[in-house]
Formats: sequence, structure tokens, C-alpha cells
Amino acid sequence: MSAARSSSEGRMRARLGPWALVIYGILAFAFLYLPIIIVVIFSFNDSRSTAQWSGFTMRWYQELMGDDQILLSLWNSLFVAVISTLIATVLGTLAALGLERYTFRGKLVVDSAFYLPIIIPDIAMAIMLLIFFNTSGIGFEPWRVSFLGTRLAVPYSVIIGHVAFNIAFVTVVVRARLASMDMTLEEAASDLYANSWQTFRRVTLPILMPGILGGALLAFTLSLDDFVITFFTSGAGFNTLPVRVFGMIKRGVTPEINAISTLMLLASFGLIVFSILSRRRSGSDEEAIQFGL
Amino acid sequence: MPNTIAVELRDVVKAFGSVVAVDNLSLSIPDGEFFSLLGPSGCGKTTTLRMIAGFEMPTSGEIDIAGEAQGYRPAHRRPVNTVFQHYALFPHMTVYDNVAFGLQMQKVDKSAIARRVAESLDLVQLNGMDKRRPKQLSGGQQQRVALARALINRPKVLLLDEPLGALDLKLRKEMQVELKTLQQEVGITFIYVTHDQEEALTMSDRIAVMDQGRVQQLGVPEDIYERPVSRFVADFIGETNFLHCMVMQTAPRGEVELAGGIRVPVSWIREGISPGSQALLSLRPEKINLFELSDTYPTGPDSAVVHGHVERLVYVGTDTHHTIKLDNGATVIARVQNFHVEEEPWEIGEEVIVQWDAAHARVFRE
Ligand SMILES: Nc1ncnc2c1ncn2[C@@H]1O[C@H](COP(=O)(O)OP(=O)(O)OP(=O)(O)O)[C@@H](O)[C@H]1O
Ligand SMILES: [Mg+2]
Repeated sequence: MSAARSSSEGRMRARLGPWALVIYGILAFAFLYLPIIIVVIFSFNDSRSTAQWSGFTMRWYQELMGDDQILLSLWNSLFVAVISTLIATVLGTLAALGLERYTFRGKLVVDSAFYLPIIIPDIAMAIMLLIFFNTSGIGFEPWRVSFLGTRLAVPYSVIIGHVAFNIAFVTVVVRARLASMDMTLEEAASDLYANSWQTFRRVTLPILMPGILGGALLAFTLSLDDFVITFFTSGAGFNTLPVRVFGMIKRGVTPEINAISTLMLLASFGLIVFSILSRRRSGSDEEAIQFGL
Repeated sequence: MPNTIAVELRDVVKAFGSVVAVDNLSLSIPDGEFFSLLGPSGCGKTTTLRMIAGFEMPTSGEIDIAGEAQGYRPAHRRPVNTVFQHYALFPHMTVYDNVAFGLQMQKVDKSAIARRVAESLDLVQLNGMDKRRPKQLSGGQQQRVALARALINRPKVLLLDEPLGALDLKLRKEMQVELKTLQQEVGITFIYVTHDQEEALTMSDRIAVMDQGRVQQLGVPEDIYERPVSRFVADFIGETNFLHCMVMQTAPRGEVELAGGIRVPVSWIREGISPGSQALLSLRPEKINLFELSDTYPTGPDSAVVHGHVERLVYVGTDTHHTIKLDNGATVIARVQNFHVEEEPWEIGEEVIVQWDAAHARVFRE
């Protein structure tokens, strides 16, 4: 009797199982993508209203292209991302090499310190940086520079702040790659008359390259995306795109914001496709998995 | 060239913390020799090789290569090349670039490199594979690339760390022959690390048997097999029977007493074992002759004779392994070659006369 019951129960569960999974899947995807789809749709909405559909238009995009403030903040964002990524990638890679290859006094402390920016909340880091720039006298002096034909004034403090958190991410990604690298390859190179620089240049660096690119891409994305740290370290009157959007949103969600979001979405999508394609070309799929792409 | 010395180690010690990996090793390896380091896992073979290559520096002692003291000279400035156990081919380079690497580092000009790469790939029979990546090659092919990559530099000495370890048995046998032929062709000194005794015996000019960081015996393969000088060597190389015994006399001729008061002559007793002490007689299974009771068997002062019963027979194709229970309680294994198909096999339990010549019996410390 009880055996019969439990077996019919089992059958029911077997029938219910796949359906439950399908419904769960649909809900999960809806939860993730519905907001995005709504934003994209309303960026083409021919009305100031963000609640009601009243026909297709490209006018918000045209307005964006004519808005000097928004364009300036976009160039600021790109400039900060490019410069901080370059610096963080070089320093982060060197740090990864140092931490993975050498033992030294106090290594554990240095090692843990590197994870700090990943673990602590952005806001805590932002406040620490703010206090640091204020008290150290570095201040919020801008770097006046011409970037892609636009004159920018980017506070050094913002770049330093971005480098500070990006280093950690680059280091972690490069170290993962380094840890899985076969050390005898370096010995083989030196056995074949390569000095330590040539060994690094011809063997270690090319093998690390997917990791370095992965780390750089991560840093670039995080930097483009950052609001909190930029907001706290920029002093007055400096806007990156996220900071600018935040300023606009205080006056309510507008179709321009939807348009900006859609463009940023497109850009992120482009970055992901690029990184997957470049990884395909350079070879193995394990690497793609390793960097979570 | 007269017999100059390619590699010399003098009192080399390598300690990792409290672990002594290599303990006071001295070796002298002449030019053009195929020299093997043979020993069980962890005996210090790899460490020795790595010190010659310059990947590790000795804790004390000296290493000369081609008559030059190496001191703390780094690996990239030593005139030796290595074939690594797992090949260590550069995964991001083609076969061509892998093989060319050493010459590129030495700034040899491009056309000379191209010519020598072609020659080297020819030598290891890999022509036409130069555009492939290591991943696109079989284990045996990767191994040849590793060889070509090392040999192209025409090193004074080639160091090989279990280069065939990752190959299957059949390929391994083929590569053994190829490697040996190659070594004779190029005339370069090979220092070959292996823990496979058969490999060492078939390929080497001389073998150093190592244990716990020390050389236990050094000699030509025949010496190592036929005339082991310690229990460890006799046991590690090939198979052998050990019989407990008491040494009766060492001179003018050796004689020991086995269990049950059986006295047998022996050809060699390890130095320092005095009459009256317990020892171990070692006897290779193929050196034992079996006779039926009705047969005539060798007698005389150089012949050892013990009675026993056949306990077990194992047919292994070329020969049959006979396990014999001796009348004094000990057990020996005798390998008898299967000369004739029609020959009457022994029966289990049959009485048998076990005979060997004193020349094959060697006595070690227990
Ligand atoms: N870098 C190291 N640090 C500490 N101990 C080491 C190191 N390298 C080797 N050893 C120790 O030294 C001893 C000899 O090691 P080695 O690698 O030379 O052995 P081996 O004869 O090559 O063995 P196998 O046949 O397993 O390769 C071992 O006890 C090993 O644990
Ligand atoms: Mg080893």
C-alpha cells in the first residue's frame, strides 16, 4: 500500500519536475531581462512619458548626440577607463607575478591587502579615498588633456581611485592564470639560453596574455560602470556618464536616460562578444570559463 | 677525440631544508657516453640533473662541464640542454618556433636557423610538421620535438629526465632504440634519468644506481646485473633469490652455510663481512639448474647442490618459473627456458635437485 503510494507520488513528481523547471527558467529570465527590454523599448517612445507607448521615434538619440554635457561626460568616462585600465593592468600584472613567484616577509599581509578593494563596500573605499585626497594634499587637481578632439579636465584623484580598485581585479585574474602555468616552461626557456627578460618576454608574457586581457577587460568595464568612487573622488563639477545620469535622474526618469542605458547596454554587449571572439581565436575554451565569460 | 671528461661532479650535496636529496655525489662522465642515473622514486635523480642544468645550485661541492667549473652560473649560460619529462614544449609556438628557440636566443642568423631546424626535424623524422602546435601532436611526436629542440643547439651534454615516461610500452621500446641510435649518430654525451631498470640496461654505456641520494653502484650494465655489490642493487635490478646464510670462510675461497647446515661455495663476499656473521646470498633465477634425481649433475668444489620439491610452475612463454621449496625450508624461484615444446614439464611435488655454480652466488650484508 505505502509502496504503491510512494511510487505514484514519484511518478507525479517526475511529470511535474520538468514543467516546474521550465516555469522557473522563464520566470528567472523574465526577472533578469524584462527591465532591460522595457528600457530599450521606451528609449524609442515618441513621448516624454515613460509609462505609455505613443509611437516610434529616434529623437532621443538625436538629442543625446546634440547634448554637449552628456557627450563630455562620455569622453570623461572613456578617458578615465582607458587610463586607469592601462595603469592597473601593468601594476596588477606585476603584483600578480610578485605574489605568485616570490616568497617574502609579510607576504600574507600584502596578499590579503590586495583583496581588500574587492571585499569592502565601494562606499567605504570611496570615503577612505576622499579622506586620503583631502588630507594628503593631493586634492582634486584636474589633468587638462585633449582626448579624441575634446578638451577634458579629469581630476587625478579619480584616475588614482579607479586604479586603486582595478589593480585588485587584474591581480586576481592574472594570478589565476599564473597559478595554472607550467613552471617548467620557464626553465625550458632558460635551458635554451634565454635570459630572464627574454624568458618573460617570449614565454611567460604570451602565456599570461589571455589572463592579462581578461583582467584588463574586467577593469575597463568596472571603471566605466563605477559611480560611487568617481562621485566621491571627483571634487566639484566633474561628471562621468554614470555620475551625469545620476544627476539627471534626480529630476525623474527621462527618455534620454533610457537611450543612454540602451547605448551602454549595446557597448557592454559589444565588449562581451569581442572578448569571447578573441578568446576563441587565441584557443582554449577553458580560458573563457576561467574568466567567467 | 681522446677521452675528455664531459661532466664531473665532486662531492656534490643538495639539501632542501632538512631533506638531503643528493648526498656527497661524485661522478665523472666522459665525452660521448650514454650515462644513466637509475634509482627508485625520490632517490635524487632529478635533483642531480637539475644541478647540472643549473636550475638548482648545489648546497656544496662542484660541478664541471667540459672542463669548466660552473659555480653559480645560471642555466642559460651552460652548454647543456634538457629534455623534460613532460617535454615542456611552448604551447603558444609552432613546432618550428619551438625548435628554433635556442638558436634565436643565441642570435644565429635567420637563414642558418631555417636550415638547422629543417635538419633537426629531419633527424627526428618530423619533416612537414613545422607549422603545427604542440597540442596537435601525439605524445611520441611531442617527445621528438623536445629532442629536436635540445639537439639543434649541439650541446656538449644532453640531459634527459625520464623522457619516455609518458609513452605507452610499445612506443617506449621503439623510442629506446631510436634514442640510442640518435645518440651514437650525434656523438653527444647523454645523461639519462630513469627508474626503469630494463631501459637503463638496454641503452646505457654505464649506469649509476642511486638510492637515498647516494650512488650505490656504478658500472657497465653487465656489471650492475651480474655483479651487484649490495642487497639494494641486486634487488632493484632484475629479480633475485635471497637466502639467509652464515659466512663460514672468506679466504682462500668463500663458503657459507645455509639453513639446515648446508654448506655452499660462493664467488664473492662483500668486503667487511667476517666469518661467523649472518649474511644474505643472492642468486638470479636464471642461474639455477634443475635436475631429476636420476640425472647426473655437476659436482665438485664450485658447484652448490641442494634438494627440494617443486611447489609451483608458472608458464610465461619464453620460460617457466619454478618455485622450489628447498629441504631446508627456504624457497627459491628458478627460471628455466622452454627449449623444446615436447619436453616433459616438472610435476608439482616432484623431488628435484637444485644446482648452481659458485660464480653466480654473491653474499651481502643482511
Ligand atoms: N624543491 C624541493 N623542495 C623540497 N624537497 C625537494 C625538492 N625537490 C626535491 N625534493 C626532495 O628531494 C628528494 C629527491 O627528489 P628527486 O626529485 O631528485 O627524486 P627523483 O629521484 O627524481 O624521483 P622520481 O623518480 O620520483 O622523479 C625527494 O625526497 C624530494 O622530496
Ligand atoms: Mg624525477
